Amino acid sequence: MNFDLDENQELFKAAVERFCQGQDVAARRAARALPGGIDRARWQELAELGLIGLAAGEADGGMEGSHGDLAVVAQALGHAQAVEPWLECGFLPARLLAGTAHLEGVIAGQTIAAFAFAEPGRRFVLDAQGVKVRGGKISGTKQFVLGGGAADLFVVTAEEDGKTGLYVVDAKAADVEVRPYPVADGGVAAIVTFHDAAAEGPLSADLGAVIDEARLMAAAEMTGIAQRLFADTLEYLKTREQFGQPLGRFQVLQHRMVDAYARVESVQSAILRALLQPAAPMAAIKAHVAENAIWIGHQAVQLHGGMGMSDELGIGHGLKRIVLLSKLFGDPASDILDYARAA
Amino acid sequence: MDMDFSPEDLAFQAEVRAFLDDKLNARLREGAAATPSVFTEPDITREWQAILAEKGWLATSWPVEDGGPGWTPTQKYIFEKECAIAGAPSLPILGLRLVGPVICHFGTPEQKARFLPRIISGEDYWCQGYSEPGAGSDLAAVKTRAERVGDKYVVNGSKIWTTHAHHANWIFALVRTDPSVQKQRGISFLLIPMEQPGVSVSPIITMANDHEVNATFFDNAETPANNLIGEEGQGWTIAKFLLENERGGSCAAPALLAKLDRIERWAREEASGSANGSGGTMIHDPNISQRLARLRLEAQAFEVTELRILAELAKGRPAGPQTSLVKLASSNLRQAIDELAVDLFGYEGLQLPVTRPLYGNEAPEYVGSRAAQLAMPAYLNGRAYTIFGGSDEVQKTIIAKQVLGL
Repeated sequence: MNFDLDENQELFKAAVERFCQGQDVAARRAARALPGGIDRARWQELAELGLIGLAAGEADGGMEGSHGDLAVVAQALGHAQAVEPWLECGFLPARLLAGTAHLEGVIAGQTIAAFAFAEPGRRFVLDAQGVKVRGGKISGTKQFVLGGGAADLFVVTAEEDGKTGLYVVDAKAADVEVRPYPVADGGVAAIVTFHDAAAEGPLSADLGAVIDEARLMAAAEMTGIAQRLFADTLEYLKTREQFGQPLGRFQVLQHRMVDAYARVESVQSAILRALLQPAAPMAAIKAHVAENAIWIGHQAVQLHGGMGMSDELGIGHGLKRIVLLSKLFGDPASDILDYARAA
Repeated sequence: MDMDFSPEDLAFQAEVRAFLDDKLNARLREGAAATPSVFTEPDITREWQAILAEKGWLATSWPVEDGGPGWTPTQKYIFEKECAIAGAPSLPILGLRLVGPVICHFGTPEQKARFLPRIISGEDYWCQGYSEPGAGSDLAAVKTRAERVGDKYVVNGSKIWTTHAHHANWIFALVRTDPSVQKQRGISFLLIPMEQPGVSVSPIITMANDHEVNATFFDNAETPANNLIGEEGQGWTIAKFLLENERGGSCAAPALLAKLDRIERWAREEASGSANGSGGTMIHDPNISQRLARLRLEAQAFEVTELRILAELAKGRPAGPQTSLVKLASSNLRQAIDELAVDLFGYEGLQLPVTRPLYGNEAPEYVGSRAAQLAMPAYLNGRAYTIFGGSDEVQKTIIAKQVLGL
């Protein structure tokens, strides 16, 4: 038994930390303010570090990292509060576009791809209904397309012959309408409407398996953020003085931090279980991580007082990213209910 | 024992309802409903304030001789309850509920004559200078210095979380007039004009993207010495009066119950997107419906807690120890309700508009519904309820010491 990171994983973690060095709130805000909310130069840098290729198979020119390698990257990005949507526009397209010619540009960071899976009025359901492919043409509307404002191409779930398949659509095509809107973590999502646009597919990727992997990555990123918020709050309680002493001297806050510590340890263990146990229930594990990470996020805001409410501090940014990830491909309540029913 | 209003109170309730039906126009309702921050913006509140002032129903917590309507505690409660149910905008409480009663109680006849009519007319818009970067929960640690020089005070220092300072032309502040004595005793309550070179305001944007609070800086700011309320060193006593006055009676439950009603309505409209294609709505979702039920039970119990306080006040007795619970309970309930609204809307609850306002022609386009667009900013702003006005931790310490004797 051994829970240590291996040599490569230490290298990936260090690469992420170097990449995110100096990325303070101001730098992150500047990136978010760019058209589409993504700094393309930084995105390319991320790709050149091999962090997108890590999620692609060797046959496609990728590095075919293990789930463990990828989770280390996701967690490190979370801990560094990276603004780049690695999970949405890196990991997911690298998986979904397996075996296609589009992957080369994605791995190189030259093509930004966004995954269009959510439909109005369909909540977290993954089966496509409103977006259809007929004779190679796609029509219908998707929403909550993360990274959709910056995307060059969309990977879209659509119904054809009564089945849900994956299709590639050129985001710049005249018959594709993109309406960007801001979301909780400061990123830009889009409502995307296809008016009989050319669609390539169905692709060969296993949608269900990729979604489960993405849930694991979301959980790993939330774990990284929760660890960061915990560490920042602990530091704050040791230095902030009120009533003539550091806040950390108050027993009620000490106990609160012990509760937070226990939760941080629990989510780290849950991630390891997901990685090491065959056929782990990813959605349920993600729900467990999400509920604890949200609690830690709320406490980080509360214990920072007014400062925790301010956009000037990374605390709120962390909470908001956790809240967004907590609902990606299902929210904790629905995932736990599914898990209970399946048991 | 009963929970009923008297026939006179019911008649008053009918009068208030008729008035609200008549005067609360669509613009005001929309402005109130589409405000995710704690305070409604002045473009909405000024109009509502003028309507209430004309009716004489504005300064409800002031004595009759100073312009109050002379209502009983029960009438005040009924008025607030009906306003909450009807969805009326909140009022600029910093003038009307905080500094107004202080001036009524501690002010000289000259101060009353100068300031009170201008609060009612809306000519003066007030903000509050309490917290400082080094004095948050520990309010008695304020450092902002006011020195008496001839017939004026010269003020230096800074205040933080000054709500609507960017709209205000006056600030009431806790300042240190005597640094040589024990910390509470050196504090005074001073009124300072905002429109002068020595005062500057810098915005603090919240994580919800709202500009509601600020940092306010005093650099040799001046105010005439006759803008001191009470005497030098009396500031802490006045600050406590202000807090207790605010806690005297409260009417938070009706607004919370009204919000739960709205959430229930949205849940009946919001598609559940169930995989089996049954096309149901979220009201059938076990998680949403159970949370809605639990929160309703809690809010209904809380409403009775507030009525118990009201009953004591109506009998002229001092309100009991339940008053300390009110802020604690209402803040936590509010946060749980706002979280439920976010969860109700699924992916649509994750939109977070960057611009304001969210009403009128300037409002940004929403995804799904306006209610869905409001959910995230309301939830994020609402995290402040357990921080401002004495954090949960401070409230619990007060209750432990003063109520439980621990």
